[in-house]
Amino acid sequence: MNKKRLFAAILSAAMMLSLAACGGGDKGGTSGSQPSGGSQPSGGSSTSQPSGGDGEKIFIPVMAKGFQHQFWQAVKQGADAAAADLGVEIYFDGPGSETEIDKQVNMVKDQMAKNPKAMALAALSTDAVKEILAECAEKNIPVIGFDSGVPDDTSGAVKATAATNNEAAAALAAEKFGEHEGLVAKMQAATSAEPVVIGCISQDAVSASVTDRTTGFVNKMAEIAEKYQPGKVSIEGHTLWEKKVADPAIIIRVEISATTEATAVQTAATSLLGTKGLAAVFCSNEGAVTGFLAAVSDGEDLAEGGRYADLVVAGFDAGAAQKNAVRQGWFYGSVTQDPYQIGYNAVEMAYKAAKGEAVSDVDTGAQWYNADNIDDEMIALLVYD
Amino acid sequence: MKLNEKKIDMQKVLAPAALVILYVFFSVVGDGFLSMTVFKNILESSYYIGFMAFGVTFIIITGGIDLSLGTVMMCAALLGAYTFKQLHFPLIVSLLVAVLVGAVFGFLNGVMVAKLKLPPFIATLGTMMMSQGFGSIITKVQSQTWPTATEPVGGWFKKVFIRADLFGVKGFPVGVFWLIGFFVIAALILHKTKFGRYVFAIGSNEEAARLSGINVDNWKIAVYTLSGIFVGLSGIMYAAAYTTITPGTGNGQEMNGITGVVIGGTSMSGGSGTMVGTLIGVFIMSVLKTGLSNLNLQAPWQTFFTGLVVIGAVLLDIQRTKAANRVKKS
Repeated sequence: MNKKRLFAAILSAAMMLSLAACGGGDKGGTSGSQPSGGSQPSGGSSTSQPSGGDGEKIFIPVMAKGFQHQFWQAVKQGADAAAADLGVEIYFDGPGSETEIDKQVNMVKDQMAKNPKAMALAALSTDAVKEILAECAEKNIPVIGFDSGVPDDTSGAVKATAATNNEAAAALAAEKFGEHEGLVAKMQAATSAEPVVIGCISQDAVSASVTDRTTGFVNKMAEIAEKYQPGKVSIEGHTLWEKKVADPAIIIRVEISATTEATAVQTAATSLLGTKGLAAVFCSNEGAVTGFLAAVSDGEDLAEGGRYADLVVAGFDAGAAQKNAVRQGWFYGSVTQDPYQIGYNAVEMAYKAAKGEAVSDVDTGAQWYNADNIDDEMIALLVYD
Repeated sequence: MKLNEKKIDMQKVLAPAALVILYVFFSVVGDGFLSMTVFKNILESSYYIGFMAFGVTFIIITGGIDLSLGTVMMCAALLGAYTFKQLHFPLIVSLLVAVLVGAVFGFLNGVMVAKLKLPPFIATLGTMMMSQGFGSIITKVQSQTWPTATEPVGGWFKKVFIRADLFGVKGFPVGVFWLIGFFVIAALILHKTKFGRYVFAIGSNEEAARLSGINVDNWKIAVYTLSGIFVGLSGIMYAAAYTTITPGTGNGQEMNGITGVVIGGTSMSGGSGTMVGTLIGVFIMSVLKTGLSNLNLQAPWQTFFTGLVVIGAVLLDIQRTKAANRVKKS
């Protein structure tokens, strides 16, 4: 009996180890003890070339906020391209979802143990990596923020950030709402008895990028609405943005989902869609768009003759589902950042910083796209699948 | 009798051996795995899982299960941070709040299981969702932060629970004292007290325990509450390691705790198990995760392998139970 147990134990241990060893081959050439068979790009670890054993390459971990959305895949493409151009070795990784702060902290710590020359970081929470940043500052490891970056860093380790100015980018959507004739007419005709509601769906009130976008949109929208209904614009919903007035004619309603999962965003969207007088909706990222589309039968309700055909909808970011909604004309349009540039700039700036060169913040820009220009060459580059 | 002793020996040897094998394996294959930094990383990612696992060891030995571990831990950490940052309670009070939250949910689980006769799986599934929702409601779905090491108010938090310059070592992992300290307490309670003996008695044969005059219901409530206290403590250790707590998370963390217990050789069918096993089980998982990460295998790989280890450990558990039954019959 004991023999049997021992056998089972050894078997499972062997299985585990052999699998771990197989997996180890995926990592490119960092340890060199595993002859990796085919260099499949599946793992996501990236080396610019198969390490030939010549001279020491600059190693830069690129720590993203997730892999969940196609957005990050485009960032990775940019980072990989920069790594190839500059001849540096990068390792791109991120937690499975954007709420897994603990996973990201562990990940960054594990990479720190390899004494990198520089690091690119999109922190889920600055507070959670504060001690690590202090260590970077002490060891002279320059950190380059990307995407939402590392806001409020006090350690001095963060040298510069490659990011979209999210407030300005989201304000672009509000400006476009202000140019929409139908919506403007509704805002002009709005009364306290029958107020017009403009919604904003965000997947959380936590991450800086989403919060900035919400702020950018809400403020700009309120400014525009004030033109038509002075003193009668009320901002409601989440306490963070709340600015209520009595008897409003235009209500800007901020809907924050309970969690970042698509089903939770869908619930938030459904509750917003049930609001009387809803005229327009802005979804502040790909996650918000995905949840919103789920609430409107994958967009069919927005099409001609659908339940919400009159609703003016704008999104943010890209992704297959959102691109389709824009192309079909279901969405009025969407704002996109330039994820490829974010990834490329992050690695390039980290490389420069590692070599001791001065670096400064880069605004990687934002664009408005709709059914008319989505296939233009300039825009097609920015909207990833 | 002789066979029985041998069996216990096997259990004692298997898990530590696996731990050593894994550590050696990653040291050989990994990139700078055998270093103080990595060792600290392993420790620091083990603390909170350890506390969860210590608590739930008691429950699993009684033949129960607690699925609310992860979300109650997050709820405790959220409410602790909320009372500190938003309500400006002294930090020490906020720490007590965290422990209290754990204890209350544990007590609730205990009452539902013992008095209302709900299956533990269902009762704790309910509190899993309730605690997650409760944390989000109180914090208005805002993430909460605990003080960082450099903060003037409460800056001692990290120094007491995670790292401090001690014994001339910069960034000494002080959390290990808490882990070992509470491990000793948990082990003493389980193996040296009446409480511990009743835990085993209830797990081996609840009816027999009842007939021999043990107030099974009350002891069960006590077990779940004790586990809740440990979960509250794990919330503190989680907060010390990761600072920022996001509402709506914690799902899946319970599996880290339960997995540690199972790998450590505690039987899911109740009645047998050791606290040492649990401690080792927790370290096996942390070494595995840190090691895989060291090999630049992304998070999904770590989850995959952890799953594999769970299956392996439960297979072992089944083998053991079978063997034990055969011993009983003969």
